[in-house]
This record gives sequence, C-alpha cells and structure tokens, in this order.
Amino acid sequence: MTAAPDRTGKRDLWICWWTAPVFYLLFGLIFVLLTRVMPPPRPSMSTAQIGAFFAEHRTTIQIGFALLIVVIAGSAVLSGLVAYQMKRMSVQPVFAYGYIATLAVGAVPGCLLCAISFLTATFRPDRDPHQIAMLYDVALLSFVGSLGCFAAQYLILAIAILLDKNKIFPTWFAYVSIWQIVTELLAAPVFIFKHGPFAWNGAIAFYEGTLLFGVYISCFIPLLRKAIQQQPSERLPA
Amino acid sequence: MWLFVLGDLFIFLAYFVIFMIYRRWDPTLFLGSERHLDLAIGAINTLVLLTSSCLVALGVGAARRAQLQRAARFVQGAIACGALFLALKAFEWVRLAHDGYTFTHNNFFMFFFALTGVHAFHILMGFIVLAVVRRELRTDHFREHVVVAGAVYWHMVDLIWVVLFALLYVMR
Repeated sequence: MTAAPDRTGKRDLWICWWTAPVFYLLFGLIFVLLTRVMPPPRPSMSTAQIGAFFAEHRTTIQIGFALLIVVIAGSAVLSGLVAYQMKRMSVQPVFAYGYIATLAVGAVPGCLLCAISFLTATFRPDRDPHQIAMLYDVALLSFVGSLGCFAAQYLILAIAILLDKNKIFPTWFAYVSIWQIVTELLAAPVFIFKHGPFAWNGAIAFYEGTLLFGVYISCFIPLLRKAIQQQPSERLPA
Repeated sequence: MWLFVLGDLFIFLAYFVIFMIYRRWDPTLFLGSERHLDLAIGAINTLVLLTSSCLVALGVGAARRAQLQRAARFVQGAIACGALFLALKAFEWVRLAHDGYTFTHNNFFMFFFALTGVHAFHILMGFIVLAVVRRELRTDHFREHVVVAGAVYWHMVDLIWVVLFALLYVMR
C-alpha cells in the first residue's frame, strides 16, 4: 500500500469524496450561523423566551433548514463512499452494509427531525406558545439525544478497521471511532436534565461530544482521500 | 494504542475538570453526598484493580520470557479481577439506588453514576482487549506488541479508577 498515489480513472470516487468537505462545511454554516442550533439554546428557557428565540431567528432558521433538507443527500453519498472503501477490507462486506444501515437510521432523528420541527415552529408565529415550546424540545432533544443512533455506526466501523488486514484505514482511527461511542453514551442523559453538564447544551453531553466529533471528521476526510489515492485503478467486483 | 490511551486520558481529564468546577460551585452538597458512599467498597475495588494491573504486568513479563501458558493464566486472573470489580460496583450501585441516591438525586450523584458508568464501560471493553491478548498468547507466533498494547490499555483503566476513587470517595 505504499505505491505512488493513483489518480487515473477515479473521477467518480473523487466526486463522491468532495461531497464530504462541502457537506460538512454547509452543515457547520447551517447549524452554527443560520439556525443557531450549535451551540444549542438552553433547555431551561421559559416558554416566552423560546417564542422570542424563534421570532428573532425566524428568517435564518427557514433559510438554513430548507437548505439542509436539500443538501442532506450529501451525507448519504459520503456514507456510500465509506461503505465502498469498507468493501475493500479483508472483512466481510456485512460491515459495509451495516454502516450504511445505521446511518440511514440516524439521519432522521439526527438532524431532519430538528429541521422539520424548527421549520414548523417558525411557520406560523401566532401559534400557541406552548406548542412552539414543544417543537423546540422535540428539535433539540432529537438533535443532541439521537447521538445514540450513531453509536452502532461507530462500533461497526471500529470493529471492521481492527479486523481488517488490508489496512484501508489506520488502526488508530478505530480508536477515534470508539471515542465517539463513549461521547454518545454520555449524551443519553439529555432526556433528563435541563441544566448542568448533561443537558443538551451541557459541557459533557454537547461540547465535549461535538469537539470529539470535530476530531473524528477532521481525521476521516483526509483518511478517505488517502484511501482513494491508494486504491488500485481496476474496478472492484460489485 | 498509546495514542488511544493519551487521548482517552485527555478526555477523562476534561470530565474531571468539569467535575471539579461543579464541586467548587457547591462544596457543601458534594462533601455531604460523598459521605453516603461506602469508602470500604471503593477501597476494596481499588485494590482489586491494582491487583489486576499487577497480574497483567506479570503476564507481559512471562510472555517476554516465552512462558506463554503462564502469561495466559495471569491475564485470565486479571479478567477475573475485572469481573469482581464490576460485581462490587453493581452491588454498590443497587444499594445506593435503594437508599434513594440515584442518578438524578443531585449533582454529585449525577457525576458519580456517569463517571463510574463510563469507567465500567471501559472495563467491559477491557474484557475484550484482554481476551484478544489471551488468544494471542495461545497462538504459535504471538506478537508481543499486541500483548503490550492490551496491557497498556488495562493499566490506563486502572489509573482512571485510582483518580476517580480519589475524586469521588476520598477528597475532602
């Protein structure tokens, strides 16, 4: 696997790879700047404060989440690319299929439910404030709390990497993947707490988890690039 | 593995710092709650894990001297210690919950159950790691780096517990 990088005839793979940095850049733009979900507003806000939050950010929320729904397919393409690389591993392709399946499960609670809830909340500003507050809870509980869906994904990836004799991805990345599982587990208490480190905006449940996810993605995108570069040009069997 | 260990220690360091910050904000609550913990069980658990680390170290030593069967037995002993640790921890948790000190009781117990829970998860992962080490010791051409990596992981788990014990049970 130390041959010179091979760029011929892989344009299809490179197109897929580029969806990764583009998608995550957009994701960051949408969730941080436009919709204000990252970092999340407090779970301890009153109904009136929640209403004020939506009133203040109505326009950018609508633009941001409408855009998310259009570009969400980027994450699907990325998981397809990862699964394709996983099929090059010495382990059975069942891991690749499992990887795709877990992400498919996670996409709805992971960000789409948040998007739809926020869009619904901003759709009719004169709606009953208690209903708006409920949509707020649904959105943020699902966004932060659904991290558990991805625990299975990280586990599958970690096991596949550790068992893989073809070394498509380096062993240390399996450990980075395992860290994600631990941070997911520590996000589970968001359904209980409205303040403190285990609330949906908490130091442990949100900030540390997001920071570690940033590490994960910052490693994953270059590793995928390297995997594609080192992949021999002939086509794999389907 | 060293990368994982350093990273994991760093992650736990963050948890400890956050714990200390919250403790600083409400020292009376934290000290008062700490008194409800059973120091004896905590101390016994600490000894159990230290013993297991000792056994793992002896196992590595035996492996290096090509005494593979002996090494595998040491590793087996370490796993047994880990199981004893978890059994004692489960007993402790059930007793605390029975007395009304649950995850949501107050901030101290929130940290207590979360931190010992994550640590327990690491012990469970440790069983897999040690099982891999033991299997490696039973192959014809065992790879020393696999055995050492497993040992390093287990020592890390022990180290984390020692700090947890100090922070949660002992610190005044």
